[in-house]
Amino acid sequence: MTSSSSPSRKALSKIACNRLQKELAEWQVSPPSGFKYRVSDNLQRWVIEVTGAAGTLYAGETYQLQVDFPEHYPMEAPQVIFLNPAPMHPHIYSNGHICLDILYDSWSPAMTVSSVCISILSMLSSSPAKQRPQDNDRYVRNCRNGRSPKETRWWFHDDKV
Amino acid sequence: MFGNYGQRYIVLTEKDINERQEEDIGKVSAVLSIRREEACVLLHHYKWNISKLSDEWFADEEKVRDIVGLLLNGIDLPNSRKLTCGICFEGYSSDVMSSAGCDHFYCHECWEGYISAAISDGPGCLSLRCPDPSCGAMVLQNMINKLAKDDDKVRYARFILRAYVEDSKKTKWCPAPDCTCAVEFVSDGNYDVSCNCKFSFCWNCTEEAHRPVNCETVSRWILKNSAESENMNWILANSKPCPKCKRPIEKNQGCMHMTCTPPCKFEFCWLCLGSWAEHGERTGGFYACNRYESAKKEGVYDETEARRERAKNSLERYMHYYERWASNQTSRQKAQADLQKAEKEQLAKLTDVFGIPETQLKFIIEAWSQIIECRRVLKWTYAYGYYLDDKVKSEFFEYLQGEAESGLERLHQCAEKDLQSFLTVRSDNTEPAPSIAEFGDFRVKLAGLTSVTRNYFENLVQALEAGLEDVHSTAQGTTSSNATNIPSKKAVTKGKTKKQLPRTSSDNSDEGWPCERCTFINPSSVDACSVCDKHRY
Repeated sequence: MTSSSSPSRKALSKIACNRLQKELAEWQVSPPSGFKYRVSDNLQRWVIEVTGAAGTLYAGETYQLQVDFPEHYPMEAPQVIFLNPAPMHPHIYSNGHICLDILYDSWSPAMTVSSVCISILSMLSSSPAKQRPQDNDRYVRNCRNGRSPKETRWWFHDDKV
Repeated sequence: MFGNYGQRYIVLTEKDINERQEEDIGKVSAVLSIRREEACVLLHHYKWNISKLSDEWFADEEKVRDIVGLLLNGIDLPNSRKLTCGICFEGYSSDVMSSAGCDHFYCHECWEGYISAAISDGPGCLSLRCPDPSCGAMVLQNMINKLAKDDDKVRYARFILRAYVEDSKKTKWCPAPDCTCAVEFVSDGNYDVSCNCKFSFCWNCTEEAHRPVNCETVSRWILKNSAESENMNWILANSKPCPKCKRPIEKNQGCMHMTCTPPCKFEFCWLCLGSWAEHGERTGGFYACNRYESAKKEGVYDETEARRERAKNSLERYMHYYERWASNQTSRQKAQADLQKAEKEQLAKLTDVFGIPETQLKFIIEAWSQIIECRRVLKWTYAYGYYLDDKVKSEFFEYLQGEAESGLERLHQCAEKDLQSFLTVRSDNTEPAPSIAEFGDFRVKLAGLTSVTRNYFENLVQALEAGLEDVHSTAQGTTSSNATNIPSKKAVTKGKTKKQLPRTSSDNSDEGWPCERCTFINPSSVDACSVCDKHRY
């Protein structure tokens, strides 16, 4: 899996640690609906269960998101991917990479794991068909050897889904 | 040097650019009654086009404010004394929190990190917005200066400076390494500009100055010179693969008996590529190979051979032009070094020896500058010639180029060699030191050659730029460009001479006589040209 071999990751800075502890505390008080934090003692990698919203193509299905935090979180965006199997979606590649602007160029430190989760669920909910992106095979082939989706130059062409 | 540059372009130093920016910012902030830093982001957004900015501002101020993220009213600090930072989620008292004029407050440490991350991402930081994803409030320069680290402030200011040059369609950076000037191009036409750093470049394509050839030819030529394909052509034309081990082998003249280098050591015939062991009387002698010659005569030698032959012809043609292009480049660099030497040492020495003030020795500097300029032109005429595929024009072009070449050689030699005799210190007094009169003669000669060469090259550049079509009409002093007949060499050169040095009367007794070869006007008292020694009659 991509994540296990991510390039030598630096430990969280003090600012990042403080912020993540606050985010986690806030999450435990009021988690975003449809999401469940899988308890672990690794603050730098969160695994979150997401359940498809009722009345959508993914109703009742459960997937797992893996969120890795860089040293300078939240100034830098977290890396967010789906663990295998990733949902069939026009913006989600079979290796779990997600084409969503706020995870890359449009990230802002004022966003949180919780707000990212809500965006991802909304992306799932608005999907018109369960299918892979058109360039899935080519993209996944290029991503071998554990390339992070943050190294991809994303081109956000479709804001309908 | 070439023509009258006048105000075709303006070289801007960093200071000039700053002043212009400040002037624009001041103007806009006065006209729109807004703060300086607001004017700055507006100008950046409108690519420093003041008229477009003010048109749109006065048409719909609210819309412009909305797009650029300029809030109308500053938000007062909220009433509560304690606020939570939207990034680190820590609580702070409101006096150590700031917002971009909106009601999203962040602590100063988070602002510093936010700004720093944006600045290290590049010039996009010039339109940095409030961190809140739903808010478009612009982060202005006064915020940057209040909250960023010192080196980030400097980098931000540099981005503004760079944007001013790069956003404008009329300004470009000087491409010379380490030069920090920009050049504003004012008029149309001739794109050659010369920066304060003395680097001459074409403003249009930012390659070095390349008159008389156009930008397209330059990029083709540069691409050709760098292309690996030329090497491939060379290998194809001058080498063959060893028939056994397939390594390419270059034949550097000599007999046809080839021995491949160890470990292969295969012996073969260069012509037919057959094993040498099979060669002897039967194949037409040990050092010839009829198998190849007779096949070649009958025209049956194979396609590879034909291709090799073609490649070799086109390669030889290219090498001809390239070598001359490159050697003029080398001569030019040498001349640049010589100019520096003249400026640094030689003039002072001449002043010492002859007691002539340096201000009166300028003609030497002018000569070198002219040589440098002419070498550049001559160099590019070889790219011109390479791409010229009209037979009649080529012939004519080569004639003009040849004349230019010999004229420049005369000048270059005079500057290089003749000057030396006045610089060599004779401590042993075996020869009489050159007199001031002799130096005066040298001065007349060098200045004369400089001006003659300048004229010739100016006309050459014009003629080549006009595609050699207009030479006839130019020579006759008309501006019509529809002359379609190719003029004869004689008519043209005569015409050129006329144009350079108009004679008012057929009797030259009072004005001196122009030399037929180099066009220098000689006093009527001499019968041989004082510049090139050609006889008057």
